[in-house]
Amino acid sequence: MRRWTAFPALIVIIAVAGCSTGGGTATGSASAPSAVTPSSEASAGAPPSGGTASAACNPPKQEGVTLTYVSFGGAYQEAQRKAWLTPYTELTGVAFTEDENSSNATIKAQVESGQVTWDVVDVGNDFGLDAHKDLLEPLDYTLIPRDEVLEGFAGDYRVADMTYGVALAYNTDKTAGQIPAGWADFFDTTKFPGKRGMWDYSEGGIFEVALMADGVKPADLYKPKLDVERATKKLDTIKNDLVFWSSGAESQELIGSGEVAMTLIWNGRGWSAKHTDKKPVEIQWNQQIVTADYLVVPKGTPNKDAAMKFIAYAICADNNAKPSEFIPYGPINKNSKPAPANVADLSVSNADENSAYFDDEYLIANYDTIDAAYQAWKAK
Amino acid sequence: MSTAAGADRRRRPSRGGLAVNRWSLLVLPAVVFLLAFFLAPLVLMSLRSVTDPPGAGLSNYEKFFAEEAYLRVLTNTFWIAVISTVSCLVVGYPFAYLMTIVSGRVAGLLLIAVLLPFWSSLLVRTFAWQVILRDTGIINRFLLDLGLISEPLTLIRTTAGVILGMTHILLPFMVLPIYAVMRRIDPEFGRAAANLGASPARAFLRVFVPLSLPGVVAGSLLVFVLALGFYITPALLGGLRDQMISQLIVQQIQQRLDWGFGTAMSVLLMVITLVILFAASRAVRLRDVFGSAVEE
Repeated sequence: MRRWTAFPALIVIIAVAGCSTGGGTATGSASAPSAVTPSSEASAGAPPSGGTASAACNPPKQEGVTLTYVSFGGAYQEAQRKAWLTPYTELTGVAFTEDENSSNATIKAQVESGQVTWDVVDVGNDFGLDAHKDLLEPLDYTLIPRDEVLEGFAGDYRVADMTYGVALAYNTDKTAGQIPAGWADFFDTTKFPGKRGMWDYSEGGIFEVALMADGVKPADLYKPKLDVERATKKLDTIKNDLVFWSSGAESQELIGSGEVAMTLIWNGRGWSAKHTDKKPVEIQWNQQIVTADYLVVPKGTPNKDAAMKFIAYAICADNNAKPSEFIPYGPINKNSKPAPANVADLSVSNADENSAYFDDEYLIANYDTIDAAYQAWKAK
Repeated sequence: MSTAAGADRRRRPSRGGLAVNRWSLLVLPAVVFLLAFFLAPLVLMSLRSVTDPPGAGLSNYEKFFAEEAYLRVLTNTFWIAVISTVSCLVVGYPFAYLMTIVSGRVAGLLLIAVLLPFWSSLLVRTFAWQVILRDTGIINRFLLDLGLISEPLTLIRTTAGVILGMTHILLPFMVLPIYAVMRRIDPEFGRAAANLGASPARAFLRVFVPLSLPGVVAGSLLVFVLALGFYITPALLGGLRDQMISQLIVQQIQQRLDWGFGTAMSVLLMVITLVILFAASRAVRLRDVFGSAVEE
């Protein structure tokens, strides 16, 4: 019996060792396009004008208010800071505290424990739906100009702040002068030899692009349901050529180095591979999936009203396109015009009848079956 | 060699009943800390697996076992942990032995060689392996340029890649306990065996190896349990089938916000691990295994 007494000691030793190794160091956030390095010439464009000056664009002075703004850090948050936060402070006197680790799980933990310290949070398209209504304040659309927001990008608990595209990026050295026309070419390894990069996430676009490659029209992707069986059959054809990435930085590196000839990518990462890393990378916008990051307000924040006023300011026509001066993301406001120099690199400017859109409500409601099918396909 | 005396010393205060040794109160902060910040959160989180969503009962567990793919990830997790442990042992045992037979100075250098990787982040080391192993990586570039191969070798996105990366990261946890035990083995035992007619190989196998076993068990347990929690290395160096359960747990907790299901998977992993450790604790004398640290 005596030797068993060492058992708890063993557990403690292992637990302590486990804490010190970083055996589970977190990976990059999987839910947002996050950091893109800004270009040196990006800020040259003149501030865009246009759009109607509404009350949202001209908030009143609010002395003594401090808001905690949370986004994904890096150049992405830097762009938001320059475009929205700093001007807002000058205009209204509202001070900002920032956090760079936006996380759905943290919002949930804050709300459940009643310790809400985040006021305005930039989240990915997998959050802010009706399924999360216990965690979020309903948005105040008497302040936020809902009718100016692109169709489908404003919900009761979230409003998109920037659009981006889940698109096809290709390495021109590897495609030898040929231009892949869309996802069908992504799946054609005879015409375009080489490996293919893919986000390792069941709802990050893998099934959608497989279906589009197989001839499904973008508008029919979810009608009546996402045909996972058909998608996995198509994916089987290039299964051995797929290279999975789990962070934006990885995708940028994979396509830049030529480890893969093509990859599914967040457009900002493709842009950075070309302009920051100076790699032979281009984006094919045809059949891109247009999606967005969203602003939400955690339920129970003491600064609810101030948070709503700020969101209205960031969404309003005068301001919404401003981050695109620093980063190839945005805008979401139909009346907000990006600087001409940046238009070509934006997802919305390249959106057409071939563009697809995630059905976020459908995806969240069917996550269990979709993810199980994905895991089963991978393990097969 | 003070195992018995040490145990006696430790037991004396409690045997005295009321006469609690005042010095033992010094462990109170540690105990309180562990209870408050380790055990309590662990219990609360574990409870969520049966209470989230409300009235969940065992439904989260049923959901897990109903999906063959999840089960396969779970078995795969243990499989990868086992291979990593064996691989660490194969590399680590001779290394530790080498450290005991060389001069103090060389042993010090070897120790630094083992510990050095500790000072760089796991992520960086894993990315470094990527740079070395991939199709456009150092090895393949070199071989292609030499004309030895015409197609890149598949070195990455394989189970072997995962094992290589994990062995590199986990090796110190194998080497250090084994070295600690080996260092205390009296060289006279070997000479005594030789005196009695044993060949060097026989003396090593029959005398040295058995005496070093406590270190082997300690190292193996540490490596095995740590390996179970890996997910970055398999994600970066592994292929489609090298998924480990931590990757699923993170997705449930961070993105899906299904904390009930996420904790159910965590509890499963923890329970199975505890069962294995418990079985190990019956098979070997853990006091010998972890006694070394106490006695030194």
